[in-house]
Amino acid sequence: MSDLTTSAAWRRLDRLQLLLIGMLAALGLMTVFSAQADWGRQLLWMVLGAAAYAAASSFDYRRLRPIAPGLYAGMILLLLAVHLVGHSALGARRWLSVAGFPLEPSELSKLLLVVVLAAFLSRGEGVSWRSFGLTLVLVAPPAALILTQPDLGTTIVFVAVLFGMLFLAGARAWQLFSLVFAGAVALPLLPFLLHGYQRRRLEIFLDPTQDPLGAGYNLLQARIAVGAGGLFGQGWLHGLQGQLGFVPERATDFVFAIFAEEFGLLGSLVLLALFGLLLIRVLRAAAVAPDRFGELLAGGVFAMVLVQVVENVGMNIGLLPIAGIPLPLISYGGSATITSLAALGAVQSVALRRREIALGDGALGTITRRAQA
Amino acid sequence: MRLVAAALLAVLVIGGLAVKLAQLQITDGATLAGMARANSVHRVVIEADRGIIYDRHGEPLVSNSPVWSLEVVPAELPLDARARAPELAELARITGRPEEQVATALAAGDAYSSVSLAAGLSEAEELAINERLPELQGASIVQRAVRTYVDPLVFGHVLGYVGPLNESDLKRLTPLGYRPGEVVGKVGVEAGLETLLRGRNGWADVEVDARGAIVRTIATQAPVPGDSVYLALDASLQRATVQSLAAGLVRDGKTAGASVVVDPRTGEVLALVSLPGYDTNLFTHGISQADYNRLLDDPDRPLLNRAIAGQYAPGSTFKMVTAIAALQEGKITAATMLSCPPYLNVNGWIYHNWASYSLGQMNVAKALATSCDTFFYQVAEMVGDVTLAKYARAFGFGQSKSIEMPGVMPGLVPDRIWKQLECGVPDLNSDSCRWNTGDTITFGIGQSYLLTTPLNQAVYVAALANGGQVMRPTLLDEVRDAAGHQVQSLHPEVTGTVPATAANLMAVREGMREEINRPYNMNYWFRAAGVPADGGGKTGTAQWGGSGLDLPTHAWFVFFAPYVQPEVAMSIFVERGELSEVEAAPIGVQVMKFYRDHLGAIRAA
Repeated sequence: MSDLTTSAAWRRLDRLQLLLIGMLAALGLMTVFSAQADWGRQLLWMVLGAAAYAAASSFDYRRLRPIAPGLYAGMILLLLAVHLVGHSALGARRWLSVAGFPLEPSELSKLLLVVVLAAFLSRGEGVSWRSFGLTLVLVAPPAALILTQPDLGTTIVFVAVLFGMLFLAGARAWQLFSLVFAGAVALPLLPFLLHGYQRRRLEIFLDPTQDPLGAGYNLLQARIAVGAGGLFGQGWLHGLQGQLGFVPERATDFVFAIFAEEFGLLGSLVLLALFGLLLIRVLRAAAVAPDRFGELLAGGVFAMVLVQVVENVGMNIGLLPIAGIPLPLISYGGSATITSLAALGAVQSVALRRREIALGDGALGTITRRAQA
Repeated sequence: MRLVAAALLAVLVIGGLAVKLAQLQITDGATLAGMARANSVHRVVIEADRGIIYDRHGEPLVSNSPVWSLEVVPAELPLDARARAPELAELARITGRPEEQVATALAAGDAYSSVSLAAGLSEAEELAINERLPELQGASIVQRAVRTYVDPLVFGHVLGYVGPLNESDLKRLTPLGYRPGEVVGKVGVEAGLETLLRGRNGWADVEVDARGAIVRTIATQAPVPGDSVYLALDASLQRATVQSLAAGLVRDGKTAGASVVVDPRTGEVLALVSLPGYDTNLFTHGISQADYNRLLDDPDRPLLNRAIAGQYAPGSTFKMVTAIAALQEGKITAATMLSCPPYLNVNGWIYHNWASYSLGQMNVAKALATSCDTFFYQVAEMVGDVTLAKYARAFGFGQSKSIEMPGVMPGLVPDRIWKQLECGVPDLNSDSCRWNTGDTITFGIGQSYLLTTPLNQAVYVAALANGGQVMRPTLLDEVRDAAGHQVQSLHPEVTGTVPATAANLMAVREGMREEINRPYNMNYWFRAAGVPADGGGKTGTAQWGGSGLDLPTHAWFVFFAPYVQPEVAMSIFVERGELSEVEAAPIGVQVMKFYRDHLGAIRAA
């Protein structure tokens, strides 16, 4: 906190963001406990995540910019290491063993991608066709490494973060449209790139009744759990579907189904509202950022969190096909929890270093250079 | 601006999720909550213990013995087809059944009800399978009650056996609450008294987790055991009858026979035997195809219960009917003397007596005692076929006896219309379709087309013994529920009364008494056995398989005792027996001896 005095930091701290994170983490821990996962371990992840959050927010994010190429190289190395010496589970090679702890580099790479793209796209105003092309070149190698793990979920996050950051960086409509167009062209090729089980997931999403006891089971059981929650929910620790193990992957991919069954529509709406508010606070940090790098950094975290919330909740309620994406701050998992908290810490770091026009001491709130523009 | 757009996007997308959530949790909430309950709450059927069958003195004839059986709950098999295939193959290997058969058995019924793949496992098999169980998802070793018959070769034809429902049973019995895999009485008393023996299954609603393990029981309904059934059968007399009949068959080189012993006062069936018997326990423990084929291919047809379903000509044992008809219709009196020539010429056809010499003039009693065929040819011609058929039916011939087991055959009383319908020739007035005098004459000595069963014969001789009442034969003495309360008791039922005066009945009975007292003949058996020849009997050697002189025969002996106030009436049947006095009668004497020595309050004459 060398660049900020403690009193200034306290005054500028986005306390609402911190409160929202605390509430979400608390709900997450309760749900992980209900899902009969190792909640003590998840608490440890959260403590480590809180440390990462504190470190990231006190660290001047601007000093990340010069080391972005190094971070990019580190990301590529980590993902390569997964392919070379990683552990497999559920048919995918995703884990590295670090000091006895399983590390999931694809989780960490989400944040690294945000930092790298923010650094790259903040070199000038707008997005030229040249830097647009270079951005795609930059994203392609890590995305390919992740897709071939295979990890469809993180690939989706990558694409969403890429799209979101290009948009926030001021990419032209045609550039974004060409990205969508390329995606539409690539879509028919997707079945050839996907593993058997991923292709199956897509087919089942299109028609979940075709194999209710087989591949459609997860989807169906999650939907049943959500529906069984009703308006008020069955109460914490009292969801039939979740407690009896009918919901698969109940602490990770399908943790929302557990939450929705036990806390009902009201609880789910509260959860979504908390996420919505948090995302608004992240966007506010982008809005008040002192520089373009900070703005894009926060904007990238916004895209990263939003796509994960939407895809995770969406697949839990049968709105989107199943892809392994955790619900930030709620799902069990060390890499994901620490990454999410570190990312939000980076956003706090941006918020702390906002440029203020002090008219009285914040009496009129904060008006930034960008807000005036 | 772009940040505002992003914020709007976030709000819109999250709002979209909220709408879909509301639809799932509110609109579809009740349906999905129901599916959640169906997922986790299952109704498990608790099978009721089947009722025990006892003899009249309370000796159990069957027990429900615990056996180990390998069972699989289809819903708990691996969901993934790739994981399921090796498990099915392993189950097929363990049980030694074809894989398709295992798959079919598992697909047949309710996915949550366990299917027994192998029952009656030996201890070694049980141990071997137990070791493999951790790899066999959904499979378990369960202790089940299996019917074990105490003495199947003695009681088998009476008790029958139970077996799992087959497809046709299932169609018939599903409305009554039977489930696939459940056992049901197939033949014998097990089938005839199914509704009493079955009891009522209970159930338990259990909450299970995703792996099917029971978490807790929500509600239960205890099963109601089946009723205890006390048969009229006397186990010791049944054993003695089997032994006597079996010994007689062995002595004369015969292989099949039957006997029914009834109490003429009540119609209670004290013994019901058909030989050869078979091991009914083979069926309850899951009979192998080889064993079943062996039983089916056996030329002695052990699966046929001859006592109730074997239909044979009664031969001379029918002569009491002819005699009663003639006396009652006034064609003869007890004193009427007729000749007994070696043969009778009727319209150019020759009808032989069993003796090639004249036995002289005789009355009806003597004719019965000597079993003179030519005497009864003359009488039958006097009476006529219509009247003979009427009296035969009055004694219960040609009528299916309603007894507590399925498969009872009625026998046959022929008449003119029957012959025309059955002759199989288009021209109903051709010679082979028209009733002729020869038919009437042979009808009189229990041949012609007449058929009876050992059960019919016992009821018939009981009617002669008790003064003309045709009793409904019954195997059931008493029914008690699981708590021991009597729910049903014996009600002797008279199904008909023979139109015969006491005097006429006495004349016939006198003939039967004389027959068993003939010196150097029937009397010998009684003297040899040390039993007083107190009662009435009649032998019969019935021809079968067409017409002519050297036809194969069956041997009969019908008998009641004692002469005054008879307590037992019986029929003895020896398939392919050639000389009824030598082959059938001594068996009856042996049964009588046992009854007298061990059971009867028979007073010496």
